[in-house]
Amino acid sequence: MWRLSLSAGYRGFGCRIVGPKGLWGSRVVHTCSAPAIPAGRITALQAVDLWKNHFTERGVMEPDHSSLYIMAYLLGAKTIESLEQEKLSEFLSPEKTEQMWKLCSRRLSRMPVQYVIEEWDFRDLTLKMRPPVFIPRPETEELVELMLNDLEMKPGTGIGADSQHTCLEVGCGSGAISLSLLKSLPQVRFVIVTNRFLATIFFCRLGLQDRLQIHCLDVMKDAETVLSLCRHVSTLVSNPPYLFSEDMTTLEPEIFLFEDHAALDGGKDGLKVIKQILTLAPQILSNHGRVYLEVDPRHPPLIQRWVEVNVEEMRYVETRHDITGRSVLKSLSVFMSSTMASFNQFVII
Amino acid sequence: MLRLSPFISCVYSLSSRVIWGVPHGAPLLLRPRPPGLMCVLAAGKKDLIDLPVLNEDELEEQFVRGSGPGGQATNKTSNCVVLKHIPSGTVVKCHQTRSVDINRKRAREIMRGKLDVFYKGELSEVLVNKKESELRKQEKRRKANGNLERKRLFRETLAANSKPGNDTV
Repeated sequence: MWRLSLSAGYRGFGCRIVGPKGLWGSRVVHTCSAPAIPAGRITALQAVDLWKNHFTERGVMEPDHSSLYIMAYLLGAKTIESLEQEKLSEFLSPEKTEQMWKLCSRRLSRMPVQYVIEEWDFRDLTLKMRPPVFIPRPETEELVELMLNDLEMKPGTGIGADSQHTCLEVGCGSGAISLSLLKSLPQVRFVIVTNRFLATIFFCRLGLQDRLQIHCLDVMKDAETVLSLCRHVSTLVSNPPYLFSEDMTTLEPEIFLFEDHAALDGGKDGLKVIKQILTLAPQILSNHGRVYLEVDPRHPPLIQRWVEVNVEEMRYVETRHDITGRSVLKSLSVFMSSTMASFNQFVII
Repeated sequence: MLRLSPFISCVYSLSSRVIWGVPHGAPLLLRPRPPGLMCVLAAGKKDLIDLPVLNEDELEEQFVRGSGPGGQATNKTSNCVVLKHIPSGTVVKCHQTRSVDINRKRAREIMRGKLDVFYKGELSEVLVNKKESELRKQEKRRKANGNLERKRLFRETLAANSKPGNDTV
């Protein structure tokens, strides 16, 4: 498994990115020396400008956004827009200047902003971010919205309902999906299957012990164990790795160097983990249970055909596109329904 | 296999900023809010009930993240939402938060306010509230000035009374 050299980038102002086969090629800046901290004091806006220019020179993506988000974070805000103009024109303290330099140097090594400031927002939650745990994407916010609509309408899951519903999530990342649903639906319990022990830190100290179970298992290798632990689940959700292996090599450095490849690579056709989930689903789900998946735009027809042939108890219901769906769909969510006794419809989003 | 055990120590905070779990495209301020959840109104300080309801078919939404792949294949932080109301040509841009979902919802709130002004002109609730708020501020300022004036006079009186040559001690 690919490992990121953790000594690179974070601690000093200079850094080298080293992979398993030595230094990466031209796509990556090999040494990233930061500009010197100015002798005199500077304002927040001046620091933002300085770093924006430096990021631009070094080919770092989103030079302005990166600079602005880091500065906002240092000044205690989420976005620069929420700060008053006076504050931005004030001189930064030496400590804040040093922190800005430290954090921006990390960004210089192409570390995603979310890892630099160690947090990011997903809907109305602020989540911890730690490499290499997968950073939630905005498309997944729509998946959660869709699930909330469906689950709120379903008897027994809404607020004030009597019975509890169990959701299973395969691959939790930083907890974006599960924490959103746990927060909005008090009657829902979650079982999480993740192959990364690090993920458990995202769920600590939230007072969710009675509503949450986390099992460190690999859905590909530990299928039997997963089945023995997960039964009578009403909803299965996953944002599984769905990229095609050949597309992994063209990923931007922010993703390729810092995020977990196992959370991205879905095999030759991107369907490796998806197929496994759908194979196990009928035994995991209770009657009329549903599967919600986020998938690649190319997947829905492939999944539909594959399920028709290979998973008798499941049926396609619907496909829905996310907000960026124009003629070229950027990403889709898929969800399917299953029943033990008779055919049900299933839905692809 | 590992069960989450409560003694794993770490610090985490759950922000409880926003609110809704409303269906995609539904008129936001008219949805009943579930009891017990904290409600924060993002746009404006008053709860405006009479704002026009948005028809999603009349809206064109653009999510500015540049070209190229989406989903897992990209990790862009720019999440500006551009919302256009086709019949009136009104455009709203929102990048107030780090969540696209919330920016979309806020863009719609802002759009409702703008459309209210567009269609109702001076009678728009938005403008009426603004005027009222201005009047309240003016009143407050007037009173504050009045207080300052009274205090000034009082001090002068005190100073005059304590001058030498007066009989009082």
